[in-house]
Amino acid sequence: MVKPTLVTNSIRSLRFANGEMTQAELADRVGVTRQTIIAIEQGKYSPTLEMAFRIARVFRVPLDEAFQYSDGQG
Amino acid sequence: MTFLEKSNWVVLVVAVPTLLVYAVLVVPQVLSKPLAEVSWVQPMIFTIVGFIVANVLGNVVAAASNPSEADQNDQRDREIDHFGERVGNWLIIAGSLAALVLAMATADHFWIANAIFLGGIAGAVLSSVAKIAAYHGPFQRW
Repeated sequence: MVKPTLVTNSIRSLRFANGEMTQAELADRVGVTRQTIIAIEQGKYSPTLEMAFRIARVFRVPLDEAFQYSDGQG
Repeated sequence: MTFLEKSNWVVLVVAVPTLLVYAVLVVPQVLSKPLAEVSWVQPMIFTIVGFIVANVLGNVVAAASNPSEADQNDQRDREIDHFGERVGNWLIIAGSLAALVLAMATADHFWIANAIFLGGIAGAVLSSVAKIAAYHGPFQRW
């Protein structure tokens, strides 16, 4: 069984705060598929550090505003 | 659904009838004749070629259904692909080891070839199942 990721994110709220950006548009700007954005938003996939930086850069926010790491179990 | 996920569904959809066709062509013979008289080489070649051709056609149809996504893949796709291949390789190795043991035991060519054949098909199926599960469930690299 794969452990769920402890990395959470604010991508959904950031998309809405940025002119209701669609998942497809974000995927296009990050250079990944829409399915990957969906998986990240749902916490089913932790992006690589580089992908995380690219996502944060699209929203012009620091990395830890887009992604958070739960310290509850780590 | 990404093109790579569709491609894995194609493997599953093609592999099951492929195995059934082979079983229908060979198993009744195995049950009713001595192994030396069983015609298995042509059915196996027919099945392998059919599996490859059906996969190619399935991928062409999958690509045609959404041409803009056909050449798109990203890091997650590649990681899922590597994960699935690693899982599927266990059955391919198991089939090869079984063939090795059968060869050492001087078993009939029929059993040696079928151990490799079934290991290959089962490995492809398991690999696709693992990838599809990874696409739908949580998937982490570690």
